[in-house]
Amino acid sequence: MKNPYHPIPMIVKKASVETTDRMLRTLQLSFLNEEDAKAFRFIPGQFCELSIFGKGEAPLGIASSPTENGSLKFTINKAGVVTTALHHIEEGTEVGMRGPLGNGYPIDIFQGKNVLVIGGGFAFTTLRSLIAFFLHPENRNKVKDITVIYGARMPGLLLYKEELKEWEKRSDIKLVVTVDWGDKDWKGKVGLVPNVLEELAPSSENTYAVICGPPIMIKFTFPKLMALQFPDERIYTSLERRMKCGIGKCGRCNIGHIYVCNDGPVFNYAQLKKLPKDY
Amino acid sequence: MNLKLDKKDLKPFLQSLIDEADLFAPVQLAEGVLVFKKIDRPDEVDLSSSNTQKPAKEVFSPQSETMFRYEKAGKQHQVTSTEEVERKRVILGVRPCDIQAVSLLDEVFLGKEYTDSYYLNNRNATTMIGMACGHPLSTCFCSSTGGGPFLRKGSDLFFIDLGESFLVELLTEKGMTFQKSNFFKEANTEEISLAKAIEEKALKKTDTSVPVEGIEKRLDLMVESSFWDRVHEKCIGCRVCTYLCPTCHCFDIMDEALTHGGQRVRNWDSCLSSLYSQETSGHNPRPTNRERTRQRIMHKFNYFPKNFGRIACVGCGRCILYCPVQFDIRQAINWTSAKRLKLQRGGRSTNP
Amino acid sequence: MIQKKIREKAKELLEKKMVDLIIGFGEWTLPLRTTPIFVRNPKEVDHLIWNSFCENNLSTYLHKFSHFKVGIVVKGCDARSITALSLEKRFKPDQLYLIGVPCQRMVDRRRVKKAVKGEILRASEQGDQIIVEGEDFKTALKREDFLYSSCQVCTHRTPTLANVLVGDPVEEIPMTETHPDIKEFEKKSPEERWKYFEKESSRCILCFACREACPMCYCEECFVDSSNPKWIEKSLSPSDNEFYHIVRAYHQTGRCSGCGACERACPMEIRLTYLTQKLNQNVKELFNFETGIDAETLPPLSTYETEDRQEFIK
Repeated sequence: MKNPYHPIPMIVKKASVETTDRMLRTLQLSFLNEEDAKAFRFIPGQFCELSIFGKGEAPLGIASSPTENGSLKFTINKAGVVTTALHHIEEGTEVGMRGPLGNGYPIDIFQGKNVLVIGGGFAFTTLRSLIAFFLHPENRNKVKDITVIYGARMPGLLLYKEELKEWEKRSDIKLVVTVDWGDKDWKGKVGLVPNVLEELAPSSENTYAVICGPPIMIKFTFPKLMALQFPDERIYTSLERRMKCGIGKCGRCNIGHIYVCNDGPVFNYAQLKKLPKDY
Repeated sequence: MNLKLDKKDLKPFLQSLIDEADLFAPVQLAEGVLVFKKIDRPDEVDLSSSNTQKPAKEVFSPQSETMFRYEKAGKQHQVTSTEEVERKRVILGVRPCDIQAVSLLDEVFLGKEYTDSYYLNNRNATTMIGMACGHPLSTCFCSSTGGGPFLRKGSDLFFIDLGESFLVELLTEKGMTFQKSNFFKEANTEEISLAKAIEEKALKKTDTSVPVEGIEKRLDLMVESSFWDRVHEKCIGCRVCTYLCPTCHCFDIMDEALTHGGQRVRNWDSCLSSLYSQETSGHNPRPTNRERTRQRIMHKFNYFPKNFGRIACVGCGRCILYCPVQFDIRQAINWTSAKRLKLQRGGRSTNP
Repeated sequence: MIQKKIREKAKELLEKKMVDLIIGFGEWTLPLRTTPIFVRNPKEVDHLIWNSFCENNLSTYLHKFSHFKVGIVVKGCDARSITALSLEKRFKPDQLYLIGVPCQRMVDRRRVKKAVKGEILRASEQGDQIIVEGEDFKTALKREDFLYSSCQVCTHRTPTLANVLVGDPVEEIPMTETHPDIKEFEKKSPEERWKYFEKESSRCILCFACREACPMCYCEECFVDSSNPKWIEKSLSPSDNEFYHIVRAYHQTGRCSGCGACERACPMEIRLTYLTQKLNQNVKELFNFETGIDAETLPPLSTYETEDRQEFIK
């Protein structure tokens, strides 16, 4: 019987700094053992607990899509003891990984519908996984229109800049990248995400919205979604909470009777409204 | 067939257990302070008190438990797992409330998608020798929570203290393995009647009046109530109630590093601690004692029942006895009844 | 009658809106105990009681009510804690109204429990006696024989610097050269002393009741919670338990009023006051300072003056 607390060994294949303020680092991890790689199946929106032995674990959303075989991508914000350690490790180092954990985005429910993705700052990681999943030839016709609004405070703080450029060129996705403040090289849109959403005014008919971002962005974007007639059951978000076990045992991440690590982290607003305001 | 163990045979019996297995039983650490510990010598065992301070959950999920050890090997690590339980175990002198609590913890650690290997191994290896409560305390309200001082469910063997001897009931397959034990003699009719009399007397003593019936529904209406403003006031936010509670099970996972390796350990934690849900960003969804007290009570009487169909309280009364400021959970439960009446009548709440 | 005067004063303060609430002691569910209560309605002042079981140091609650004007019932030791807190600028001036009660010394409920066989179901005070009753016993115990050790050696039972005293000041005993517990302890060799301390702290379950009951422990992040630097691990270990107790005692040096709330709060009945009392004695000897006696002198270990003695620096 597998011990759910034992991490699987992973090797840091590639490490790169993602943002100009050097606070976000992307790690590409590959499995040390072949059988672990074969057994690992996940859907966008799930997360893993990455271990640095001696420092601890941190829950991180999987940024790579299940269609991108071989390795897992994580983008890590330098915030505490473990994430700082993840910023300092070199390529070739072993890290531990437990996963996939959580419920993931409801890709089955999205089938045959339009998808509106709204992301802000470094919350974009699992959204990348979702977008890349649906853009894959095998999955593209599972959903109809894909609209993405992604904003960061400044151009240097955008994640996955090269990829965004590729996606902007595609005709099967409408991608609007925006920044709060531009710089002398920025040729793209300047504007806050809620305002860009209002301007774009995507139709809510047959559309599911997925929104991930800092609380302040969600606070101002949510009323715009309401104004566009998105019902609560069709607005999805991914919650964050301090976690430890990641498997619904240690009790730390509960909101009411649900555990964010196990019953979530993805919820729709109708579900969230039923929970006590404990977040 | 009813068996008994004469008290003069208790020490040799305990020794026979120690020879075969790891024995856990109540030990007095200081006058009046008892915990369950691994026994090396029969004279360490103290079965005289009504209940231990630290609950029996410690035997199945220790306060500090190593999850694995690791050693650096270049850029990689050698990991040694620690979940195996090598020797059989016996726990003796567990009260029915603590046994009920362990079955409740089974739901958390063994149920749903993931199985907690450490807990499972401890549980499978352990024979439970329960001890009836002939003299429940006035703070015991196990009978209000679906339990009772003579509840046998969950015990493999069940002892009833008759004064000169223990009446022994073999209740499960594991218990039946003791049938041929040299230490157990046949009990006579007087001894069996005495046990019945003690049981009847004990059942009358425990408190059946604590209104836990329907508390889940009452609390559904009270999440944002000003009730919590008053309830939390005297709580000082220590962890006594949580650590001494046989059903509380929240834990923390930490790495402890040494130069060439270390271990990952899990420790009991408490939702009443101010940093419990503090996120690295600095945001704390439960910033004051009010939210934390609400979380603890709601978890026990509303969230846990929603997930597992029963309240997470076995009425052992330890939180009442040992709280430094005498927070009495029975009163908090009573107030939910009064509160509901006030809400129904449209009244405003005053000081409970 | 102290209890009557407490209620009268509380009523007056609430009716005149001089305070938003009164923190005092009330009757509760278990014998030999009282519980902290928070009275806001002048009609409810009759919940306030006074007896020999009012053992908590209520000043530990003041941080929860920092936005309110608070009236608080204080014994001598509690008032000293509040003076010490005021010097550490924990309150605004005039935020508190101290209802000072000259203390008759509190009864050690644990020793009373151990003096009888069987559960105590009712307890009452009659003159200098404590009457305890169980299912099949009723015993009268001499109050003076069952006082808390910290109360036995208390040198300031009358609250200094209270806004009002609701009883006559009591005769104080001078701080003894060595207090009986310390005297016993000082007779031991260093190895014996360590063994005693080791045995006591080995029972510790890191519940932090001692820390939360103590009014002087108000740090938002306690040293035990620090992860960088990580001073102690979170798991139970003899050395980390000992480290916690030693450091916490040292953090009280020059700040501890000797109220004993830490020891009374401990569910594992760990002796703690012998550490703080020894430190208090040392502070008196070295700096001629006693915590919370006057509102002007700053605690010696929290301040630096160029004239500070330094003959111990070699």
